[in-house]
Amino acid sequence: MKFHWFAEVTYPHLPADFPQKHKSAWVDPPVSLMDPTKVGEMYRMFLRLMEQADREGFDGLAVNEHHQTAFAMSPSPNLLAASLAGTTENAAILVIGDSIALYNPPTRVAEEMAYLDCLSGGRLIAGFVFGTPMDSVFSYGTPPVELRERFHEARNLILRSWQEQEPFAHNGKYNKLRYVNVWPRPVQQPRPPVWVPGSGSIETWDLVIDENYCYGHLSFSGLGSAKPLVDGFWEYVDKRGGDMNPNRMAFTQICCVAETEEQAEKDYAEAVRYFYTHNPTSPAYVQPPGYHTQATLQAQMARGGGRLTNEDRMKAARGELSFWEYDEKGFIIAGTPKRVRERIRELATSLRVGQLIPTLHMGNLPEETAAKNTELFGREVIPYLRDLWADQPDHWTPQVSQQRVAANAPTPAGVGR
Amino acid sequence: MTLRTDVSGGFSVRVWTAGSGSPLLYLHGLEGHPGDAPFLKRLAERHRVFAPELPGYGESSGFELIDGILGMALHHRQLVTSWGVGALDVIGHSLGGMLAAEFAAINPQLTRRLVLVDAYGLWMDDPQVPDPFVLNETELKAKKWAHPEAAGIEPSIFVADPANPGAAALQRSKNLSVATKFMWPIPDRGLRGRLGYVEAPTLVVHGTEDRLMPVAYADEFARLIPDAKVARIDDAGHLPMVECEDAFMEAVEGFLAG
Repeated sequence: MKFHWFAEVTYPHLPADFPQKHKSAWVDPPVSLMDPTKVGEMYRMFLRLMEQADREGFDGLAVNEHHQTAFAMSPSPNLLAASLAGTTENAAILVIGDSIALYNPPTRVAEEMAYLDCLSGGRLIAGFVFGTPMDSVFSYGTPPVELRERFHEARNLILRSWQEQEPFAHNGKYNKLRYVNVWPRPVQQPRPPVWVPGSGSIETWDLVIDENYCYGHLSFSGLGSAKPLVDGFWEYVDKRGGDMNPNRMAFTQICCVAETEEQAEKDYAEAVRYFYTHNPTSPAYVQPPGYHTQATLQAQMARGGGRLTNEDRMKAARGELSFWEYDEKGFIIAGTPKRVRERIRELATSLRVGQLIPTLHMGNLPEETAAKNTELFGREVIPYLRDLWADQPDHWTPQVSQQRVAANAPTPAGVGR
Repeated sequence: MTLRTDVSGGFSVRVWTAGSGSPLLYLHGLEGHPGDAPFLKRLAERHRVFAPELPGYGESSGFELIDGILGMALHHRQLVTSWGVGALDVIGHSLGGMLAAEFAAINPQLTRRLVLVDAYGLWMDDPQVPDPFVLNETELKAKKWAHPEAAGIEPSIFVADPANPGAAALQRSKNLSVATKFMWPIPDRGLRGRLGYVEAPTLVVHGTEDRLMPVAYADEFARLIPDAKVARIDDAGHLPMVECEDAFMEAVEGFLAG
């Protein structure tokens, strides 16, 4: 299986009483709490960590898009990706993804993604997202009932603009362009791999099945919470005769690797707590009318919350779980490399996940700890899990990154099951 | 009175009708159709009332055919024309007020008199319209009613089904999702520039205690519509026809009889 280094670009200097004093880290958190100089230092740290991950043999470097939040200060993933495309050699540049409903014209995304693919020598993964309600409908003001239509118009326009050899006219509902003729074009032909993450919407499942995209379940609640939803996804793929290849499924997981379990708790407990407690979202911003369709809301009601209770989620958000309770309930996977790889194998097997997005920096973790996490994960975890799903072709990561990562893979003695 | 389904041009909408006399179109508000509401029945004592459900609300369909505010005004024109009643009085409440004003601007020949009740459609930087989509039940109650304890009497076309307890929340989400087309993120789709085209004499009715739609907006509507006056309903919130039915009826019937 494959591993894509990831971190939310979380502002690490919020005061300890932030969760008590403020209802939301999204949409309207007070900017007076943020120091732009420290933000700059933080961006440089994330670039250093991802450059390290490239050297440590990770398959991809994942960057995402969020707006008006202390939780993830990455307003355009293309910006971080542009730095990485120029300074890394092997890993895929996993843009997961651009909120394409928000760009007018969406050809801006087609151009920027093409730029990234050119600069990285064909290592781009093109992720298209709807964006959270807080991002797309509150911060960027899109009427929720229009979001899906805008997304699909943008997606079709971007894909066509990468393929057409002659200028063409696009007379869409939301975008009118008389002369579409994107320069540059992606290196990868006919197009870079496309990933579309979702939160369980049936319509998104249909899309990824119809187009054979990679689907992503991006949550920070772990196996227990995701199990019913991801099982539901695979049942649906099977029922519709889609591709059951595990490599078309991506999953995020916070991982905390250390020399011993005691050391893991010492290294990561505070940062994990910061990550979960300093991310309140006002209930007003979570489920605006029209963001999910009626079919999806009905399915959500029927499905329930999985093995994780609402009380568990509340406790996690209030910091009322111990470090090892976060681990036990699946929010994080922590411990020695051996323990971490065993639990990842269990997770990946149970969920049929071929693309893991390990989150190796979280909250206010110091850079040196994140660097150690990256090193241990790259050397002591990844090589031991390469056998999983190795018999299945991977159409969802770039050929160039597959070849270069394999050519540079560490071959420690005794690697195996 | 009857609740029938009118099918026209790809739309299938429920229409509450009752009474006889001069024809009257009633367009419901943001949250949904009021059903067999006492104030509708009283209007039906003097008028032939047509109260259609907006496409996409409740059990009415065709919303996907509506491309913005003009599409909605044309849909209502088609409905009115299909009834064969000629020009009529038009009353619109809340979101329906915004749509009624658009109808009157675009179809002056079909609009005899216009009544806007706590209508959306305009924006001012001061006072601003609160965002109705972020309010929880308690906050909504406090903003909507002069006396929140009156909330229990709000009439609705929705019939609860004990076997399906989730239905009310689903219905509400469906209704409000349609409203986002016209009201998200700011309930302004350019009506300000079109109010000058309203030819019908207009009454702008507004509850003085409406904290969803500040009463200052009544004056702004009246300023922008060529022949308009304001009727403030004291001690009423966003639904004066429910909270102060008598005062509402008196103001509206007085105006329509004029």
